[in-house]
Amino acid sequence: MEYLVHIAVMACLYVILATSFNLLIGFAGLFALSHAAFYAFGAYTTAILSTQAGVPFPIPLLLGVVLTAGVGAIVALPALRIGGHYLVIVTLALQVIVLQVLINGGEFTGGPDGIAGIEKISLFGWRLSSPHTFLPMAIFGAVVCTAIAWRIARSPFGRALKAMRENEAAAQAIGKNIVLMKVIVFAFSAGLAAVAGSLLARYISYVGVDSFSIEETIYILAMVILGGTGNLWGSVVGAIILVLLPELLKFLALPPDIADKMRQVIYGLILIGILLVRPQGILGEHSTAPALARRARKDAHADEEIGTVNGTEPGEVTVSARGLAKSFGGIVAVRNFDIDLRAGTITGLIGPNGAGKTTAFNMLTGFLQPNAGTIELRGRSLVGLKPHQIVREGVARSFQDLKLFTKMTVIENVLVALPDQSGDSITSVFFRPGTVRREEEENFNRAVEILEFVNLADKAHELAENLSYAEEKLLVIARLLATGAEVLLFDEPLSGLDPATLEEIFPIVRRLARSGKTICIIEHNLDVIRGLCDVAVYLDEGHALATGTPDELVSDPELARRYFG
Amino acid sequence: MDLFLQLLLNGFVNGSHYALLGVGFGLIFGTTNIVHFAYGPVYAAGAYSAWTAAALLGFPLFLAGLTGVAAATVLGVASYLLLYRPFVRRDAPTFVVLIASLGLFILLENLIAILFGTDKKVVDGYSAGIHFIGPTFYTDIHIYQIASLMILGLALAAFLRLTNYGKAIQAMTDNADMARVIGIDTNKVSILVFAIGSAISAVPAVLILLRDGALPNMGFIAVFVAFLAVVVGGVGSILGAVLGGFLLGMVENVGMWQIPTEWQSTIAFIVLFFVLLVRPQGLFKGT
Repeated sequence: MEYLVHIAVMACLYVILATSFNLLIGFAGLFALSHAAFYAFGAYTTAILSTQAGVPFPIPLLLGVVLTAGVGAIVALPALRIGGHYLVIVTLALQVIVLQVLINGGEFTGGPDGIAGIEKISLFGWRLSSPHTFLPMAIFGAVVCTAIAWRIARSPFGRALKAMRENEAAAQAIGKNIVLMKVIVFAFSAGLAAVAGSLLARYISYVGVDSFSIEETIYILAMVILGGTGNLWGSVVGAIILVLLPELLKFLALPPDIADKMRQVIYGLILIGILLVRPQGILGEHSTAPALARRARKDAHADEEIGTVNGTEPGEVTVSARGLAKSFGGIVAVRNFDIDLRAGTITGLIGPNGAGKTTAFNMLTGFLQPNAGTIELRGRSLVGLKPHQIVREGVARSFQDLKLFTKMTVIENVLVALPDQSGDSITSVFFRPGTVRREEEENFNRAVEILEFVNLADKAHELAENLSYAEEKLLVIARLLATGAEVLLFDEPLSGLDPATLEEIFPIVRRLARSGKTICIIEHNLDVIRGLCDVAVYLDEGHALATGTPDELVSDPELARRYFG
Repeated sequence: MDLFLQLLLNGFVNGSHYALLGVGFGLIFGTTNIVHFAYGPVYAAGAYSAWTAAALLGFPLFLAGLTGVAAATVLGVASYLLLYRPFVRRDAPTFVVLIASLGLFILLENLIAILFGTDKKVVDGYSAGIHFIGPTFYTDIHIYQIASLMILGLALAAFLRLTNYGKAIQAMTDNADMARVIGIDTNKVSILVFAIGSAISAVPAVLILLRDGALPNMGFIAVFVAFLAVVVGGVGSILGAVLGGFLLGMVENVGMWQIPTEWQSTIAFIVLFFVLLVRPQGLFKGT
């Protein structure tokens, strides 16, 4: 019986580790394999404070959480620069360095022997010295930690994390500060792992480096992968299965060291097997759209046209760029480029491949910093601002290669892009839940309206990756519209569409312009330019060669010669 | 000063060892873009197979070494065919393949431990000759480590330049999609690089078996230094991996002059950490 209770305590600790790890790898998509190092930080902080300074529970736990969260925020720094395999390797290296420091830390960390004699937790005169008495504590810890992870995962912040996982550039382009998000999610993931470490230290009264090896990180990783990345219940299930499963080996009466190796073999097999057979894990990912669709409230907004920009005069210049220049190495992409974009006007940007059209967009939206020149939105300079800041100022862009959040539903793609969400702030998520919930309902209605505007409402709960090409293009428009920006820059929004679909999309773009938006479109198809644009700018060799109505430009023999070669 | 010279020599020898590990790993990683963590246990399997052949079956040393090379080759190709290929075929995200390779890593490493036990395996009856130049010494194994790098490195470079298969490998390293377009069978090329890379890894494995003995977890540090050499030198370049390996060997050993020995293995990881942070594209590669 005692033994079963012990297993239950360990399952609770691994639930904490697996859910916090899932936050990082499943939601934020940051494959940082140093979770056992965070676990170790929590455990050693408690061990050192308890044995060397006699600090009572729960102070070492709390200090450990804060310290480890700080360490996590520092580990986020590599993740700001590198991704993919390199992040995995850097964080594995970090894990090894932490272990080496613990082994070579002498008296302070107990070296290879670890630290023994950690005081048990005493609460109200109760000393939690047996598995039975510790179990309620472990369950409490697991519930609190899982609830924190759950709150983050299901909040607008969690939705933004998933968007960042799907595509970092697109997340920036809808106004998300991905630097801040990475630091925060690392801090939370690490801090929660530290809770498990601190509880372990108190529970077994001992910490040693063997508990925090690379194998431990892989063990926790196997739990997350088995249960399903991006689903916290999956991590709970995965943790319980992988704690229980190796216990079956006890029936084989193997010698202890062989049994230990067999456990590792099983983890390896499970990891490989699940990835081959069911890569999404036992439980798949689910949508973060509010479960209740409060459609009744919709009427409140019904009379307000989507995309209305208040207080604009049609024809008024909103964005004005002068003398923009950008070169890569020795290659000049854009030079001395001037453009004025006007409210209520659709401006077409045409020119051959390599003319610098997308580079111009990248500079206008902060994805590239110009070497020279000025960009102003209604007199306010945009130069030097980050992409997410420029979106909030009111200039948003779409991408030629769409960059949809493919593993999120259609409505999530729109919801995540809506501006001024207090749920994007982690403090509001925890301390102003009422406001966040109210806004979620309003935002859901708003998102439905936007989808209705582009005729995608019936696909709202479909995954974006299951859309047809034309529907993807519509979703790009919906997501861009959702940002609420008054200046919308479309990078080839209509390329590759058949004429019938074009006829469907034209009125949508025209209505946006009529409602006061400033619109600029990169386009190759001259029929589209003539059918849609009020003004066209001809760009060649990084320079605006001519500006005029589409018909004027098309009838200019010099331009025709350049364009058609 | 004597100590410094000795450390310099050790750095050069260990650098050759790391460089050869890097060449094998880099060939696989650069060509297929698979982070083959199981390169570590495959390397260890090479050492253990050689030990089995020499100590249990009584093979002569050279033949035992060849057994190790053969075993590593088979295991390396099998890991591609049975594990990685299904993922490559369905175009799985790179991190999925990477996690699968971690799974294979932990699986193989522990299988080796179960089969052979966790005690150190040494080949009895072999002792390397020790030679002195002034106050510094070196052994026969050290010579073999340097010689094997030179021979295998040059042979591989010639193979890549002069044969059609070599050119196909280089094409796939440059751009796998383009290679497919011009009619290169990338599956066949992948099998080939797994075979060559794994075979190469077994050579340093056997030499380490003779020098220090074999342990089940010997593959972990091996795959890390291999990865490090490749990343430091720049992915896709054989010469880069060699330079990266030497740089690592030198830093690690010359560092011992001032840093206590227990930190020796940490140095590699710290170098890796900062190189990746500052120059993810490698030290010897332009932007």
